[in-house]
Amino acid sequence: MTNAIGTTLWQVKTLADRTTGAMPDSPWLAIGYILLGVVAVGALVAGLGLVLIYAERKIAAHFQCRLGPMRVGWHGIFQTVADTLKLLLKEDVIPERADKLLHLMAPFLSLLATVMVLVVIPYSPVLQIADVNIGVLYVSAVGGFGILGILVAGWSSNNKWSMLGAMRAGAQIISYEISVTIALLTVVLFAGTLQLSQIVLSQAEGWWIWRAHGIGLVAFLIFLIASVAEINRTPFDIAEGESELTGGFHTEYSGMRFAFFFLSEFVNMFVAAAVTATLFLGGWMPFHIGSFQAFNSIMDLIPPAIWFAGKTGFLIFVIMWFRWTFPRMRVDQLMKLEWKILLPIGLVNLAAASIAVLFNLYFFPRH
Amino acid sequence: MTIRPITLADRIAAGQKVESLLSTQEYFVNMGPQHPSTHGVLRLLVRLDGETVREVIPVVGYVHRGIEKMGEYLTYRKFIHLSDRLDYLSAITNNWVVAMAVEKAAGIEINDRIQTIRTLCAELQRIQSHQLWWGVFGMDLGAFTAFLYGFRDREVVTDIFEETTGARLTMNYIQPGGVMFDIHPDFVKNVKKFLAYFKPKLEEYETLVSGNVIVQARLRGVGILSPGAAVSIGTTGPVLRASGVAHDLRKSEAYGVYGKVQFDIPVGVKGDCWDRYWVRIEEMRQSIRIIEQLIDSIPEGKHMTIKPTAKIKLPEGLYYNQMETARGILGALIVSDGGEKPYRIHLRSPNFNNLWSVTAMAPGLRIADLVAILSSIDVVVPDIDR
Amino acid sequence: MNEIGSTEQAVRKEEARRAGAPGTVLSPAEKRHGFIGGVFSGLLSLVQGMAVTLGYFLRPSTVVTRQYPENRATLKMYERFRSLLTMPHDQDGCHNCTACGICQTACPNASIKVVSGKDAAGKKILKNYIWRMDACTFCNACVQACPFSAITMTGGFESAVYDRRLLSYSLNRYAGPSASALKKIADPAERRKMMEPCLAYSGQVLPGETPPIAGGE
Repeated sequence: MTNAIGTTLWQVKTLADRTTGAMPDSPWLAIGYILLGVVAVGALVAGLGLVLIYAERKIAAHFQCRLGPMRVGWHGIFQTVADTLKLLLKEDVIPERADKLLHLMAPFLSLLATVMVLVVIPYSPVLQIADVNIGVLYVSAVGGFGILGILVAGWSSNNKWSMLGAMRAGAQIISYEISVTIALLTVVLFAGTLQLSQIVLSQAEGWWIWRAHGIGLVAFLIFLIASVAEINRTPFDIAEGESELTGGFHTEYSGMRFAFFFLSEFVNMFVAAAVTATLFLGGWMPFHIGSFQAFNSIMDLIPPAIWFAGKTGFLIFVIMWFRWTFPRMRVDQLMKLEWKILLPIGLVNLAAASIAVLFNLYFFPRH
Repeated sequence: MTIRPITLADRIAAGQKVESLLSTQEYFVNMGPQHPSTHGVLRLLVRLDGETVREVIPVVGYVHRGIEKMGEYLTYRKFIHLSDRLDYLSAITNNWVVAMAVEKAAGIEINDRIQTIRTLCAELQRIQSHQLWWGVFGMDLGAFTAFLYGFRDREVVTDIFEETTGARLTMNYIQPGGVMFDIHPDFVKNVKKFLAYFKPKLEEYETLVSGNVIVQARLRGVGILSPGAAVSIGTTGPVLRASGVAHDLRKSEAYGVYGKVQFDIPVGVKGDCWDRYWVRIEEMRQSIRIIEQLIDSIPEGKHMTIKPTAKIKLPEGLYYNQMETARGILGALIVSDGGEKPYRIHLRSPNFNNLWSVTAMAPGLRIADLVAILSSIDVVVPDIDR
Repeated sequence: MNEIGSTEQAVRKEEARRAGAPGTVLSPAEKRHGFIGGVFSGLLSLVQGMAVTLGYFLRPSTVVTRQYPENRATLKMYERFRSLLTMPHDQDGCHNCTACGICQTACPNASIKVVSGKDAAGKKILKNYIWRMDACTFCNACVQACPFSAITMTGGFESAVYDRRLLSYSLNRYAGPSASALKKIADPAERRKMMEPCLAYSGQVLPGETPPIAGGE
């Protein structure tokens, strides 16, 4: 199926669509689809954990002129499995006067927020679990849930260091959500819709990062920096700043529940990269240049899922690159960066974006 | 004296200026003895108001091994191997301090070759110590990669030491009367190779850490130590020089062959963490300069002027010798009663005074600044506790 | 003690006075930027740092890790590396130790115990040379002190054991006179009668062997 200028258009069909389609005829099939979705998300989280943790260790090692895990399996590919087994067998320690219920609950809150965003990301035209028509708003709102896990963990540990880490994280995440949202709004203005799959489709003639005369690039940079701050990674990892606060908010966690925090950090990284890729790099949309049909058709040969994986993988590499190069910022410098630098630039960018949309000022204007 | 948090009411009663009317409660937090960034087993009792540090109380003594007491039962040659274990990152310089004290007191003559070798080793040790400091500094600030780069480059110097002295950390190399082994035939070649390898790496250090805007923001203006405070606390070494006091024993009491080489002393202007950082990086450059001047012209001669089993007896009296290690002025005081073993041997530790400058610098700053300050002072705790 | 304002002024005055003082080099002043200039120069410094780390990432030849124990075949320690005290025995199986005890006197922490005896003529010979590896600081004083070069420090570093008693080593393979004394006896059979073999132990017990009696006590 092609559109008016000859670019191939994909038919988007999500798991939710299939469920609603099957519901009137055979409710059991619908339930089967729902269960398939649940299993898929679980498998994705587990798989991401395995792959990303190993990738982080290997990439960190090669940045640092060393080799990383080499013993468990060929070049250490089963290292994460070994670590998971070890963590499962560890004693689960709850501090003496800690708030037991909150202490038990906190890791799951962290993971919950991440998983809820995983559900709406378009991985490919046919690989999306739910396509909410307020997609961007949903991502922004639910993504902000993650702060609860950190705050609860810090409070319930009955440890001053954990409290410090949690309070810092709270201030940091709430502030950076503003910049994230403003950069998000830029893309919403360009695409004209909040729905994630439609945003991807709107980039059929070119990705928003380059299609909008630098406004997209600035928005991309702001979004990337603010997302890295949202997921508490260096240079913004004051919440768990190892060399200062030992473990920050997760000092008092051990065993599998620590593994959950660890896992949720990595899945968060994937989510941040995936959302950035969806909004600015076209998601599963291949690299098209306007109406050069020949070029576009060559790009279409590569399946959309591979495009998505490649873009997300590249962004994950960039996020890891940041971690292993930069020192961390002090908490007030972090706040200053957000309120005095990113926010003004973001607002000016938003104003410029509205002018660009009003006068159709970007490459390959929409008709 | 009971330690209890000072409340807002106390401060108003004492007539202090109060920043806000919000009645916050101060609390105590323990940094260490087990902490990733206290550079040794050090306990810091920190009184905090939110994130602001009000007071820092260092508690030392966790690594006390009784080195000075053990010295009373050992002859002078046997004591040298214990001096390695004080500030183990400048082990060879520690050996030199004690050996030179013994030589001056007993009147043992040493030749130029020995002096040149000792100076070369001391400067190599200074570079090695600063490489480790740089790596740990990056790690404390959060740039973990810097740690590995520093250690990777440090390995080259460690290998040079291993080849000549036989040990990597506690060399026991500089003995009263000379050095334990003559330098290895490959020593000169390897040192030159190291210099050629390290000079571009130093530029890389600047790009990776010094020029980084985050590092600049974290270090500039943080932890200012005025020259008066620095001198009155008794800080020495890079901490003192960064505060603007141009005092370096290598210039004022030139020992070894320092009097014959050209080099500059890096001096800071403001006395903040950035100046302490910059002074050490520049010291590495100056050490490279000194080594380059000495490496090609090591005079001939014997490497030891007395026999290893010769008895060394110091005449009765008080003897003191001090020297500039990588961290400051290390001094050896020997009280002799005329015998083979000292009556009392005391070592003036540079890190002890340097650590106490934290109490002057930290109040009013944040926890992250406290970590940066500790790192910029470059404390090695076993030197304090001996 | 944050005398920031007054210190700045005092320091600037001092700086002006010291500018050009011989033998010193002053730290460079901070560059000042405006808002946009600051953002761009900051970003540039970050990108330069990232270029440095990427350079190492893309060059696997810069990896410095050595995979031990797979590299045992090519692993060579420096000849002077001090980690295992040995008593070299020559091709006739004779050592150089005369049991003079100078090494025991030179050792700072009593890691060496020279157990001597008397031979038929009443001269001092070595019976047992005990080295406590768990006490030794590897300071090399014993090697330096020995007038006969009977002991030396080698680079054998694989000496980890599970029982602390196995760290007391017995270095001599026979109880008897030193090589120079033995060379004076022409008859090899006579020589061998003077060398009473004793159990030497200086390392881990290999599977199949019986562990030696823990020496030293």
